[in-house]
Amino acid sequence: MSSYGYYIAIILVYASVDAMACLGLSLQFGVAGVSNFGFIIFQSVGAYVAAVLSMPNASTSNGGFQKYILGWHLPWPFPWIGAALAGGLLALPFVFIVGKRLRGDFAAVGLLVSAVLLNLLATNYVPLFNGAAGISLVPAPFQSHFNPQGLSYQFAYGLVAVILTVGAYFLVKRITESPYGRSLRAMRDNDIVADSLGKDLRMQRMSVLVVGGMIAGLSGAILVEFITLWAPGAWGYAETIVLFAAIIIGGAGNHKGAVLGAILVPVGFEEVTRYLPPVGNPALVPALEWVAIGLLIVLFLWFRPDGILPERRQILSGNKNAPAPVPTAADDESDALIKIGDLHKLDLHKLLHLEPTGNDHHVIFSTKGLTKVFNGVTVVSDVSIDIQQGRLTGMIGPNGAGKSTTLAMLAGTLPPSSGQIFYEGQDITSMPSNKRALNGIVRTFQLASEFKKLTVLENLVSAIPRQSGDTFVGSMRGKRYWGAEDRANIERAQELLEGFGLTQYADSYAGGLSGGQRRLVEIMRALLAEPKILLLDEPMAGVHPNLAHRIGDQLTNLCRGGMTIVMVEHELSIMDAFCDPVIVLAEGKVLAQGTMSELRQKQEVVEAYLVG
Amino acid sequence: MSSFGFGLISAAVLAIATVGFTMQFAVTNVLNLAYGSIMINSAFVTYYVNEHGVNAWVALVGGVLTGAIASWLLNRFVYTPFQKRNLAPITVVIVSLGIDLIGTFGLQAIVGGGYVSFTQNQGREYHFAGLLLSSLQLIVMGICVAVLVGVHGLLKYTRLGKAMRATSANKNLARNSGIKTQFIISTTWLISGALCGLAGTVFAMNAGVFEATSAQLYIVLLLAAMFLGGPGEPYGAMFGALTIGLATEVSAAYINPDYKDVIAFIALIVMLMFRPFGIFGSEKTN
Repeated sequence: MSSYGYYIAIILVYASVDAMACLGLSLQFGVAGVSNFGFIIFQSVGAYVAAVLSMPNASTSNGGFQKYILGWHLPWPFPWIGAALAGGLLALPFVFIVGKRLRGDFAAVGLLVSAVLLNLLATNYVPLFNGAAGISLVPAPFQSHFNPQGLSYQFAYGLVAVILTVGAYFLVKRITESPYGRSLRAMRDNDIVADSLGKDLRMQRMSVLVVGGMIAGLSGAILVEFITLWAPGAWGYAETIVLFAAIIIGGAGNHKGAVLGAILVPVGFEEVTRYLPPVGNPALVPALEWVAIGLLIVLFLWFRPDGILPERRQILSGNKNAPAPVPTAADDESDALIKIGDLHKLDLHKLLHLEPTGNDHHVIFSTKGLTKVFNGVTVVSDVSIDIQQGRLTGMIGPNGAGKSTTLAMLAGTLPPSSGQIFYEGQDITSMPSNKRALNGIVRTFQLASEFKKLTVLENLVSAIPRQSGDTFVGSMRGKRYWGAEDRANIERAQELLEGFGLTQYADSYAGGLSGGQRRLVEIMRALLAEPKILLLDEPMAGVHPNLAHRIGDQLTNLCRGGMTIVMVEHELSIMDAFCDPVIVLAEGKVLAQGTMSELRQKQEVVEAYLVG
Repeated sequence: MSSFGFGLISAAVLAIATVGFTMQFAVTNVLNLAYGSIMINSAFVTYYVNEHGVNAWVALVGGVLTGAIASWLLNRFVYTPFQKRNLAPITVVIVSLGIDLIGTFGLQAIVGGGYVSFTQNQGREYHFAGLLLSSLQLIVMGICVAVLVGVHGLLKYTRLGKAMRATSANKNLARNSGIKTQFIISTTWLISGALCGLAGTVFAMNAGVFEATSAQLYIVLLLAAMFLGGPGEPYGAMFGALTIGLATEVSAAYINPDYKDVIAFIALIVMLMFRPFGIFGSEKTN
């Protein structure tokens, strides 16, 4: 019966290798939204490095029949450690591709092509990788002390593989459940918004590429020292698609789902087809396997896009038992009936940790000749404005006047074509938006910008700057390190939520809220980012007028305490009530500036509005 | 010099394929990575018609129709429904990879793994400005020129072409201006699908022998050509295809031919890193 024993041991190793790979990919794709279509490279490079570190010198051993580099003949576990390091290091050049400005699908294509390219090179360049033939006779760990073919050796090997898989599981879980994981998920849901809230996208993407790469590298090492072979043909780019299929089926972002997917897809397919009788042409069964994988991807993405085990909703409110109400269509219509709550009672300064600084109305923020040209069309032309500290400055103008574009340049979301931006006298024109956010310049967006698959409470907490658990190192130090602080942050967010009357949605996914509710979430999120200068792009659109005026009162309060606010808004009654001064933009230029009553006297302003 | 001739043919095939590919991207914003699988399926349809005694150049019509219909169906029943769900663009790209597997290996399951070739000779050879070209190669180049001129005429001088350009520049604005964007998108997929089928067939003819997975990596050349000229730009695609086609074949004369596609890979990666909107393109509003 020992053949069953061997079989089980082999399955343990294969399942562990695939599960580890899926865990790495689940962190990258499921949690951080980095579509690493070149994932297989990391596994294959890890495998290769483990092989050449454990093998003896190429020219002196086995008659020198195969060519490879290194050949250091290191004892276990050094080849495995080297494999993990190689997988991590390999991630660094790819940061150029997944860096912050490239569309996700373009970056994915870049990674896919890199995988094909490296495979092509490995197949054809003999001195480094022994060409298409690959490397054989990779020594198994401790093979001079034990018989690698023995049942107990193979079981022990499988056990070590399983233990390392469990380790990888807890590693990715630790990252995912930390405040850093929250930031990664925020980036996945909307990277431009995460950037505007101060998240360093490049760093975040790099960290998941490195961690996922290390896990992949290690998994490759486990495989190669078990099968004792390495050939480029086994690491084609299509293998990455198999891993994607696995985590899509299991549940991307749910790490248990990733393990389940690994067992169902790569392992399951391999094992099931082993028992099929040979029918038709020899290519038939493998071809049908690929067809099945393709079908599973398409069908799952259509019928069950969250996989068998969907990502778990994080209940931060502490109210674990009460099911979070899912906003219904009826709620959408009853937006006007929204519970306004006790917004006026809220002491925002205390809640947001703002020290009232007093106001001297000096020019805190200004632009000089700010211009933006898109495809030859000048959208914003030579805009020079001065924003005074402690004032709520309004910005109005007809559609297409360049208001949102100006705001985007102020926040750093768009680079200006020419002109300069100054903050407290310093030229910040080239400062990236996430740095601006950390320096207190925070914006909201005109279009829906909630993190859809984060709960309302998570949306709010994600914006809080300088959380100790919101760095890679912080997340590694575990909940004992960041837990108490996170608890306090959550309580602050809950208090704010109560003021805005949205407590019952604390644990609902923000993507399910009505338009008006989402605007409120966005305002709250921006406030929690602790802005010194708050740039609001039509914050009141779709918000009930009563609530809009309460929010306006609170914004005025904040300005009194020293915050500076710039607000783009179409609703003139809001401008009348709260904004002073108001800047009028038309056709990309500053048309006029002053209080609303002054502006109403000006012929050209009235005309611009009537014409626009 | 002979490598230059090969380069011209490769560029011609690539240009037909890339123009179709980039048109699909322009109107639907989808990187249709299943393009190569439709190419090779079309080639096989031409092959089977050819096997039944029909002249390969006539059988080509079957391949063109296959490409047009398959692409139209793919957009109508797969990509459009997925896009209506407002998913991240990457989801549709993953779907297209799934479709590519289904298309390529479904074909392989049916036709088996062996190589086939058309019943057709290369025709007599012509000396042409120092180049040695077979009549097959000359016809391929003729087809390419006809396609490029046709696409130019379509985009520049017809209402349909103008509506296509408007839809690609701004779908909502085009719809609000009274353009039936859904019809335009469908038509674009029919036309680009026809180009895909045509490209697949001439690709297979030019290759001589082919099998079900022959076009699997062709997508890399397509992507390189498209990104070089700017995604969604038909004229850019022509430029990109010419550059990539020539560069890969000419470089094959100087380096190990196994590495000839490396130049396309590197061009693509460099473009993605530094100018994802193409050499001549500029940043888009969105």
